[in-house]
Amino acid sequence: MSGHVIERKPITIVVDAMGGDHAPEEVVAAACALSLEAAGEPASEPRAGSRPATGKPSGDKSATEKPEARSDGGEPLHLLLVGDAPRLSGLLMKQRYDAERISIHHASQVITMDESPREALIQKPDSSIAVAARLCAEGRASALVSAGNTGAAVLSCVQHWKRLPGIRRCALAAVYPTEVRRGEKDDPFSLILDVGATLDATADDLVSFAVMGAAYASRISKNPRPKVALLSNGAEAGKGPKEVVAAHARLKELRGLHFIGNVEGVDIPRGVADVVICSGFVGNVVLKMLEGVSETVVRLAHYAYKEKLMWRAGLAMLSGGIGKLKDLTDWKQYGGAPLLGFDHLLIKAHGRSQAQAIQNAIKVAKKGVSSGLLADMERGLREAALHSEDAT
Amino acid sequence: MSTAAEQTAHTSPSQPDASQTSAPNVIYRWDLDKTYLRTDFDTFMSLLRTAFEDAEDKRTVPGAATLLRELRQSGQGRARICFISGSPRQMRKVLTEKLRLDGIEFDEFVLKPNLRNMLTGRFRALREQVGYKLPALLAGRAGVTDKTREVCFGDDAESDALIYSLYGDLLSRRVDRTVLEQVLRSAGTYEDDASRTISLFESLPHAEAVERIFIHLDRKSPPSKFDRYGTRLVPIYNYFQAALVLFQDERLEAAAVVRVAVEMVDRHAYSVDSLRNSLQDLLRRRRVSVATVNRLGRIIADGAGERDLLPALGSLPGTRELLRALARGLRDLGPLSEQELGPPPVDTPIDYLAALADLPRRHKRK
Repeated sequence: MSGHVIERKPITIVVDAMGGDHAPEEVVAAACALSLEAAGEPASEPRAGSRPATGKPSGDKSATEKPEARSDGGEPLHLLLVGDAPRLSGLLMKQRYDAERISIHHASQVITMDESPREALIQKPDSSIAVAARLCAEGRASALVSAGNTGAAVLSCVQHWKRLPGIRRCALAAVYPTEVRRGEKDDPFSLILDVGATLDATADDLVSFAVMGAAYASRISKNPRPKVALLSNGAEAGKGPKEVVAAHARLKELRGLHFIGNVEGVDIPRGVADVVICSGFVGNVVLKMLEGVSETVVRLAHYAYKEKLMWRAGLAMLSGGIGKLKDLTDWKQYGGAPLLGFDHLLIKAHGRSQAQAIQNAIKVAKKGVSSGLLADMERGLREAALHSEDAT
Repeated sequence: MSTAAEQTAHTSPSQPDASQTSAPNVIYRWDLDKTYLRTDFDTFMSLLRTAFEDAEDKRTVPGAATLLRELRQSGQGRARICFISGSPRQMRKVLTEKLRLDGIEFDEFVLKPNLRNMLTGRFRALREQVGYKLPALLAGRAGVTDKTREVCFGDDAESDALIYSLYGDLLSRRVDRTVLEQVLRSAGTYEDDASRTISLFESLPHAEAVERIFIHLDRKSPPSKFDRYGTRLVPIYNYFQAALVLFQDERLEAAAVVRVAVEMVDRHAYSVDSLRNSLQDLLRRRRVSVATVNRLGRIIADGAGERDLLPALGSLPGTRELLRALARGLRDLGPLSEQELGPPPVDTPIDYLAALADLPRRHKRK
């Protein structure tokens, strides 16, 4: 013995294993793959001659071997799967996974995608999403990932989690592909919030959304000074509803925030701002419209492909580039939508998420925890509150 | 000509007394690479590196050294430790030195005569394990009584699960000569090795000897891959899990389990959460019972910070904290009900030919 016990506290992410169109199979597959990644193991069955070495030999091997250490030097990742325990166990046992990094908490009920969130949560107190949110609140995990019913996920967080000081309403953020790349990782996305956690927002809410969005872009996209803008019907400070005008006046004075003023809808895909702030109602309409435009473009391409041989040839020639663009803007790569404003982080993955998208959502959740995102938000909100007091 | 499975027994540097070597009541058989040692020979370069490593450079699987020492001690002089490895005999010096550095006493050390196999053109024997390990195990049974129990440790890289299970079923006569002959033929065992294996089998008395087989999931193979081998075989992710099962089997005391855990935390940076997850994994797979976990939790909780376990562990404040955290961790597992656990493993006769057919190609004849 070396004489002292060093325990490395892992980051535990609780996962609603029953939420989503492909749950629990794809959720379990994602957890298994991530557990192996955390252990420095290849996710596929190793074959002779193809397996990467998991560690380099060095002096005193027994003493220096650190199974909990990650290749990125961060805290080890543990996953707490919530759902039908026997079913989850059965799925786990058929896959390669690291048992040291996965645990299961039984929840006997499931809220499906088409259920009314409020009623379902009343009727199903032992649903996987409710139990997962509760476990987070109890300190058993630091963040929650769910691909299930969005309303139920948000409501569960409202019921079990505390809001950050100064937060009246939480915001659901979404990413949208843009022309401009940003941050250390050259992310081709801008962040839009709120996209539907609540319908309306006051000037105070919009200011807090801006602070939280900036902190998220700074920590997750490694964009040290994200450009924040309010979504309005004109670039001038006086344009828009009164809460937008009031928020503009306050954000303009807020130090530490790179507020660039108002942007219009057309500026979102152009990537003029890194963080776009709006009420949940507006954000949801904008997001759906942008998705609709994308789908229409795809449908038009399909139509063109079928209609004329020349068009087909042209599309075929462009197919490589289109494929790359598709990969670049693929929501599966980005993980999910964060719910911001609570004392824990929820990453809401797309309902159609498969293993890869869920893995990315979990990675984002871990990054949010390990980067000190919540502390950053709290600090920003405190400064905004102080500034507001000074102004009055 | 010597057979591939020629066995050489060596006493440990500590020179065990006569009772240890003559009348053991339990034999712990350990494979070395990927079971006791963290060996990487999946690529040619790593194989070369392994071959030329010094004893000080060899890495022990977390918890394995403490577990081995505890097993030795728990037998009160009647536990025999035997190593059987596919490593070449030329590595004896460095391997025994590594065990000495780890403070491991052993009674038997069997290595594969790879150089001789190569020089005599027995190239198939270089990689084939059934025709090497099975007769070595059977030969190691000579001179012990039918009351002597065995616990075997292997890994998921090769055919340890099949070999240890077959060994146990041969001793208990659940497998007969016909099946043995078929298995040896399918495995591509050389004729002389096969004959020797069959003679050894026929010379040994019936014994329900192999009570437990542990397969270290070095490659993280799915545990369900080993379902065919029944409840006797337990796939494990680490040696804390093995210690828990051995506590349930009454081969180890609670303090020994804690010492394995402490070593893993202290020297290998395991967290209490990792240990708790490992324990929950065993519970889910029904390889330990809730009653066992509760009993262990009670013993640790009673001892932590009080008297029982601490003198044995030293008076390190960190250790005391670890014990408390571990006991809390055991309690946190909660009252697991039957509905929350996975399906219980079942024992059915093992189809060894099918099991052999499912192994990677090098373990069976093309």
